[in-house]
Amino acid sequence: MKLKHLNGIVNLALTDFKLIFRDPSLRSFLLLPIILFVFVLWLLPMWVDQYDFLVPYLPVFLIVAVVENTQMFCFISSMVLIDEKETQVTKVYGVLPLTAPQYILSRLLIPFLFTVLLNVVLIALQPFYPISWWENLLIAVLAGMVVPVYVLAMNSYVSNRMQGMIYVKAFNMLVLLPIAAFFVPQGWKGVFAILPTHWLFQSIDAVVDGSDPALIFSIGFSFMIFLTAYFARLFMSRHFV
Amino acid sequence: MIEVKNLQYTYPGSRKPALQGLDFSVERGEVFGFLGPSGAGKSTAQKILYKVLKDFQGSVLVEGKDLQLWGQSYFTRIGVGFELPNHYLKLTGRENMQLFASFYSGVTLKNIEELFAMVQLEDAIDKTVETYSKGMKMRLNFIRAVQHDPEILFFDEPTAGLDPVNANNIRTLIQDLQKSGKTIFITTHSMHTADELCDRVSFIVNGKLAATDTPEKLKSQYGKDAVHVLLQNGSERDFKLEDLGANEQFISFLKEGEVKKIHTLEASLEEVFIRVTGETLRA
Ligand SMILES: Nc1ncnc2c1ncn2[C@@H]1O[C@H](COP(=O)(O)OP(=O)(O)OP(=O)(O)O)[C@@H](O)[C@H]1O
Ligand SMILES: [Mg+2]
Repeated sequence: MKLKHLNGIVNLALTDFKLIFRDPSLRSFLLLPIILFVFVLWLLPMWVDQYDFLVPYLPVFLIVAVVENTQMFCFISSMVLIDEKETQVTKVYGVLPLTAPQYILSRLLIPFLFTVLLNVVLIALQPFYPISWWENLLIAVLAGMVVPVYVLAMNSYVSNRMQGMIYVKAFNMLVLLPIAAFFVPQGWKGVFAILPTHWLFQSIDAVVDGSDPALIFSIGFSFMIFLTAYFARLFMSRHFV
Repeated sequence: MIEVKNLQYTYPGSRKPALQGLDFSVERGEVFGFLGPSGAGKSTAQKILYKVLKDFQGSVLVEGKDLQLWGQSYFTRIGVGFELPNHYLKLTGRENMQLFASFYSGVTLKNIEELFAMVQLEDAIDKTVETYSKGMKMRLNFIRAVQHDPEILFFDEPTAGLDPVNANNIRTLIQDLQKSGKTIFITTHSMHTADELCDRVSFIVNGKLAATDTPEKLKSQYGKDAVHVLLQNGSERDFKLEDLGANEQFISFLKEGEVKKIHTLEASLEEVFIRVTGETLRA
């Protein structure tokens, strides 16, 4: 990215935070990671100490925490962009000396990096499994990619806040649905492979399980990169008109 | 400055073309206008010119260069005043302006406070835009379009939704822009705005241009060079403007009784529009 746009892009990132803090419903979503950290670092260890039957489900709890960490910016960024479309501010971006990829990067880079950071810290601090720093990073980055896929997909189909609220519920379902793979007979697991977060969940499971996660990670990253590119294109063709 | 030949456009998923072959040009330093009823295709044509709608047919040259070949630098050369207010409602007027200003480089930006004062918004500059009225938001649209001092300006219905005083103020500001050498393309369905502002105007109906000329020529083609006199006693007559002061019949008619009304019979731009296109502007 050319340096001359840096000013605008930094300004835009700061503006996003102003927009988030001035909107009560968006602001409240900033609490989500705090709740998740309290859950994983304090409540969960306590429960596991008391109730042995929870132990087999520890990977599932960890997976839910990691994926829910992504939901803060999935929701916030989606809503900021939907609002922007509903108030037709997007049209202004269409006539600025800023390309659509630059626009996407400036809106989603910070949410992505922040989400990655949250998960790196969460995984580093969780007391249940020893996870190497590079496995940690891979999980966190793969999880972080949920944010651009989610936000770009959401904004390719939704044009106002009302619709947005409905789609958020549906999307959250899709994001979490592959959890079910841990509760169905082995033969049924494959059904969830069509959902991108399935590969994130399975990679976390492989890492905590001590099995080789290389293949699962590869599929997961390929899938996420493909979806990001696909929805970025769709988004660019629809967002500014 | 802008040369358009056989411009055609159909919205994706729509059967009927929105533009059916427009030919027009906008000369450097002129105020050019599209006058037409709702749905005529005015905004569509502008959206193509400011590169938001792609996949059109026909040719568009801007400063001699094919529109498709212009890169990002095009957007520092143009300013767009959108048809409807579009701002971040939770940000103040100043924050809105500053955010969009920060994307321009290599241009001298106009002073924000002076811009707000220019459209009488100085008291609202640090209030969030959600507290603005529609007219205030439209004035913010206007100053946002000009803050990077662009060469070419597109204004889509610049006076719509404004009270007469503010509409007049905006018209004056557009005239000032012209005086400073800018090229300006406006759309409007107000014959008053078209008449007062435009050097040349095109009538547009159903995606086609019906006539293009100066407002004066258009009006004189269809009006009569005459005055109409109505007396209190009810008798009325028309007199040619030519040598009116020496017209004995006119003078003596005026002496026949108390004058109730006297006016010239030039056509209004709206009357011309109806005669030429067979449609009204209010449709
Ligand atoms: N996004 C769109 N998709 C499909 N058709 C559209 C779209 N926008 C406009 N049209 C159609 O294209 C035609 C021209 O619309 P346009 O907005 O250019 O009219 P206009 O002259 O600007 O009218 P107004 O005075 O109401 O602003 C209309 O028939 C309209 O219904
Ligand atoms: Mg219009």
